[in-house]
Amino acid sequence: MTIDVSPDLASLATAGPKAGHARRLAVHAVMILLSFLSIFPIYWMIVTSLRPENEIFSTSLWPSNPSLENYVFVLTRIPMIGMLINTTIVSAATALLQVVTGLFAAYALVRWRMRLSGVIHGLIALSWLVPFQVTMIPNYVLASRLGLLDTLTGLIVPNAAHAFAILLLYNAMRSFPTEILEAARIDGARSWKILWQIVVPNMGAPIASLSIIAFISAWNEYFWPLLLSRKPENSVVQIGLQMFMTQEGNLWGPLMAASALASLPILIIYLVLQRHVIESFMKSGIR
Amino acid sequence: MTDIQADLARPLAVARAPAAGRQRGPFTVQPWLYLAPALCLLMMWTYVPLVEAFQLSFYQWNMLPTSPQRYVGLTNYQRLFALPEMRAALWNTLFYILGLFPMSVIIPLFVAIWTQDLEGRARTIYRALIFVPMIVAPVVAAILWRWLLNEDQGLITLGLETIGLGRIGFLTDPNYALATLTWITGWKLIGFSTLLFSAANAGINASYIEAARIDGASRWGIIRDIRLPLLSPTILLLSMMTILFGAQWSFAYINVLTNGGPLKSTTNIFYLLWEYGFQTMSAGWSSAAGMIAFAGFAVVAAACMWLTKRFAVYDN
Repeated sequence: MTIDVSPDLASLATAGPKAGHARRLAVHAVMILLSFLSIFPIYWMIVTSLRPENEIFSTSLWPSNPSLENYVFVLTRIPMIGMLINTTIVSAATALLQVVTGLFAAYALVRWRMRLSGVIHGLIALSWLVPFQVTMIPNYVLASRLGLLDTLTGLIVPNAAHAFAILLLYNAMRSFPTEILEAARIDGARSWKILWQIVVPNMGAPIASLSIIAFISAWNEYFWPLLLSRKPENSVVQIGLQMFMTQEGNLWGPLMAASALASLPILIIYLVLQRHVIESFMKSGIR
Repeated sequence: MTDIQADLARPLAVARAPAAGRQRGPFTVQPWLYLAPALCLLMMWTYVPLVEAFQLSFYQWNMLPTSPQRYVGLTNYQRLFALPEMRAALWNTLFYILGLFPMSVIIPLFVAIWTQDLEGRARTIYRALIFVPMIVAPVVAAILWRWLLNEDQGLITLGLETIGLGRIGFLTDPNYALATLTWITGWKLIGFSTLLFSAANAGINASYIEAARIDGASRWGIIRDIRLPLLSPTILLLSMMTILFGAQWSFAYINVLTNGGPLKSTTNIFYLLWEYGFQTMSAGWSSAAGMIAFAGFAVVAAACMWLTKRFAVYDN
C-alpha cells in the first residue's frame, strides 16, 4: 500500500478551504487507522481477560458480565506474583548496573586522554554487532560453570554492562564543559568526587532515559531467560507466560489475564511517564 | 544485541580527538579502574565467547560437560552448506528482512510526510497510541496475535468468514505462516518508525520548503528533491536496523508461535542456531552456523555504514 502523494493533491491542498478540509480528514483517517492497529490487540486482550468462561468466544466489544475469574485462575495456577517480583528485581538491577558501569566507562573515556581510548571505544561499540545467538553456547557453558543456571543473578550479570548504555552516557558526557572539570581538578578534587558531585548531578536526563529503556528492555527480555530458567518460580514473567501458553494454550481467558498481568507494570510506567518514555526511545533508538 | 541510534547517526567510528586540557602524560592507572567493570563484562560475556564459538565451530560436541570435544576441521561448515535446512533458513531470513521493509521504513516514511501538518492535541494522542506496540513484550505480542488469528474463534478469522473469505490458517498454513510472523514483528515497529520519521521531517528547515514553493515546485517535487534527501539519514538508519536486526527480532515469535514450522516454513538462521544448539545439542553445527551468520551480517553492516557515509545528506 502506498499513500498517495501525487501533484494533484498538492493543488487540492491549496485549492481552497473545502479541499483543505478533505485532506485534513484523510490525514486523520490514516492516523486513526494506525492508532487502531496499534492499540486494538491490547484492548482485545483486556476485554477477553474480563470475560467469564461462557462468554469467551463472544465478539461484543465489552463483556456483558465482566468478571475477574480469569485473573484468580492465573494467580492460583502459576506463581505469577513471585515471577512479577523476580522480573522487577532483574529489571531494576539490570538498569541500575548498566547506569553505573556505563557512567564509569564513559567518565574514563571523557576525562582521561589515553593512547588506547580509540581502540576501547571501538571495542565497546562493536560489541552490539555480535548477535547473542552466536555467543549463546559459550555463554551458557560459562553460566553453568559459575552455577548461575536457574538463578536471578544469572539473568542480571551478563547484561550488567551494555554498549548502548556506555555510548549513550559517553555522548551525553562529552558535551559537558571541560572547564568545570578542569577547575575542580585544580582545586584538588579527586576524580571520584568530581564524578559523583559534579558530573552525575548534571546527567539527570540521560541517566533517566537510560534507566527507562534498560528497565523496559530487561522486562521484555526473552531469549537469555529461556536458556537459563528451569523452574517457573525462579524465573521471569516472560518465561512463565510461555510455559503457561504451552500447557494451557487454549484457555484464552486465563491466557489473556496472564498476558495483561505481565504487561501491567510496563503499561503503568508508560501511562505515568508517557512523554518521557517516547522521548527516551526516540533519542536513543530501538531496543 | 541491540542498536544505538545515537551512535549510528554519527558514523560509527572511533572517538573524536579529545578536547584540549585533559590530562596527558605518564601512564595512569585510574581510568583503567573506571573502565574495568564494563570492559571485564564485555570481555567475559561477548568477546571471549565469540572466540570460543569460533573454536567450537571446528569441533564436534554434544554440550555435555563430561563428553569430549572432537576436532573435525571444516566438516561442520561443509555439512551445513549441504543441508537443505540451512538453505531454507537463509532464504527465510531474507524474506523476513524484505517483508519488514514496508512496515519499518516505507509506510512509516510516507505516513510521516503525509501527516506532517497535524498539530496540537490530536497529534499528541496519536503519538501516544501508535508508540504502544514498541513497549509490549514480544511474548505478549505473540500471544495477542495468536488469539486474534486463532483458526477457530479468533476475531480476525470470524471477520474474514463473515465477509466470505473463509478460514485461513495464519500460523498453520506454510503459505501464510512466515508472512504472519513478519507482520507481528512489523506491528511492533510501524508506529515507532513513523514517530522517528515525523521527528526528522519536522526538523527540516522550513525555509527550504518555502523557497522551493516560491520557485513553483509541486508538492511531490518538494518531497522528492528536499524532504527525501534530508530524511535519508533516518531512512538509512532504519533500513540498516531492519537488515541487521530484523531476523533477530522475529526469533521470539518463531519460538513462541511456530517452532520453525509448519514444514520449516518459518525457521530462519537465528532460529536454526538455537535448534542446533539447544534442541539437537550439536554445539559444533550451531557455532559454525553462527559464524556464517556473523560474517554475513558483518559484511552487510560494513556495506551499510559505507552507504550511509556516501549517500546520507546532512543539513549542516
